[in-house]
Amino acid sequence: MEKANGARTPQQPQHRINVPSTAKERVSSVDPYGFERSNDFDYESYEELMSEYLTVLTKRSIKWSKLLQGKSRLEKNFKVKRYVRKGIPNEHRALIWMEASGSQEQMEKNPGYYHSLLQLQHDPKLVETIRTDLHRTFPDNVQFRKTAEPCLQKPLYNVLLAYGHHNKAVGYCQGMNFIAGYLLIITKDEEKSFWLMEALLSRILPDYYTPAMLGLKTDQEVLGELVKVKVPAVWQVMNEHNVMWTLVVSRWFICLFIDVLPVETVLRIWDCLFYEGSKILFRVALTLIRHNQALISQSRNLPDICDRFKQITRGAFVEDCHPFLQKIFKEPGSLSMATITKLRAACRARIVAEES
Amino acid sequence: MAYAYLFKYIIIGDTGVGKSCLLLQFTDKRFQPVHDLTIGVEFGARMITIDGKQIKLQIWDTAGQESFRSITRSYYRGAAGALLVYDITRRDTFNHLTTWLEDARQHSNSNMVIMLIGNKSDLESRREVKKEEGEAFAREHGLIFMETSAKTASNVEEAFINTAKEIYEKIQEGVFDINNEANGIKIGPQHAATNSTLSGGQGGQQAGGGCC
Repeated sequence: MEKANGARTPQQPQHRINVPSTAKERVSSVDPYGFERSNDFDYESYEELMSEYLTVLTKRSIKWSKLLQGKSRLEKNFKVKRYVRKGIPNEHRALIWMEASGSQEQMEKNPGYYHSLLQLQHDPKLVETIRTDLHRTFPDNVQFRKTAEPCLQKPLYNVLLAYGHHNKAVGYCQGMNFIAGYLLIITKDEEKSFWLMEALLSRILPDYYTPAMLGLKTDQEVLGELVKVKVPAVWQVMNEHNVMWTLVVSRWFICLFIDVLPVETVLRIWDCLFYEGSKILFRVALTLIRHNQALISQSRNLPDICDRFKQITRGAFVEDCHPFLQKIFKEPGSLSMATITKLRAACRARIVAEES
Repeated sequence: MAYAYLFKYIIIGDTGVGKSCLLLQFTDKRFQPVHDLTIGVEFGARMITIDGKQIKLQIWDTAGQESFRSITRSYYRGAAGALLVYDITRRDTFNHLTTWLEDARQHSNSNMVIMLIGNKSDLESRREVKKEEGEAFAREHGLIFMETSAKTASNVEEAFINTAKEIYEKIQEGVFDINNEANGIKIGPQHAATNSTLSGGQGGQQAGGGCC
């Protein structure tokens, strides 16, 4: 990272030993994934946090290398699940996501399928909708700039277009651009990104992106029901001010926490998402809400609630991804898949009845 | 920050027509050429003065993509004003106005004031929709009309403020029942002078605060 910073000041004489004196000078203004750090980025705390997290990363990296040694397939078992929850090192991330989600298997079963989708006659409406959003996807990421070499806008376009043809019921829905973008950043591979997208949309998430967005509406309500039981103070304030859950959490679900939580934290959540499924989204949401229940329940009005729901997605609690990931398995308490399934069925039925 | 009235607005229209940019120009007086797209609903607020009265505008900026309509529809309810936006450089966005209007009329209260906005007026060379066409559509459907540029800020203030004036006039005429919050209007706490100073001090500390 320091190298990148040095490269930006070529005027500096090469021979002089330049010891950066502040965290801002030591840490690159662009993160390892290409995102520019915001103006109010706290370099001091970040450096402090990273010095601890690097130890964790190194330890995990050694353990993972050992686990994967001589294996071509990933076995799903309790040990691997524990490993995933503790974080997949970035060098293995694409591989583990592919294996755990069944995407690898799908890709091998359907050789050439992705590229054949790109050869199809393209639906002009689909093309236009995707194009409108290309320059609006991660304008703060240097890899997505038109001037970047290579520029990720073209691969992004391809993945979205191929997916739109593959799944006509969904086509293209905003939010998918961010997801495909993250997948490209991590896998650096269009075809793998496509198959991971397919795993997310067809197996891992209930129908979030179909035109009726029934799965999304359902999960927002399910979260409401869970909050009612687990964090009644927050449920009460939401009820008192007549705030619909969709107003404060739609972005959480649609973008799977992209641009809501810090990048590293999102990736750690996605590790579990690909391995364990969509329940993890509720764990994250409940942890954020429960941890900040005092703050939220003091809201005085609707705009105030909206502000506070944004506020709780920032700061040390979420930046420090390792302890945060440990918290999501403790803070919300027990959360069985049976409960989620039952709530989903009930909420879905309610929404369908209301809409008809 | 005591206000006499609070008006709730929604901004609707196709994706990419510049809804969020209009809001940003109005609330922050700046233009962001590369803007993240809106997912779900975002929110902004600003105080304006009409007829010597402080009016707080609470503005809901919605996602324009079709899929999101089933979600954003729920925000039409309880809005006093709507900005219906199209892009003068994309004929499609103008052609979709009828659908948007039907949707808005169906899900909002009947007195909602609708301002039709042809945005991106700075891009004259790429214009696909004539100003006269916008005017004709507005006349036909009983809307107010303006061409704006979120980039140069041309007519942006006017668009938001003229909508508020129209709502204000309707209040004066007694068309709006201001005691019914479903109309998107609230009476502020300004009447009790001493109280307003107190609550003003608290509300002013936070953006979007105040007693609403």
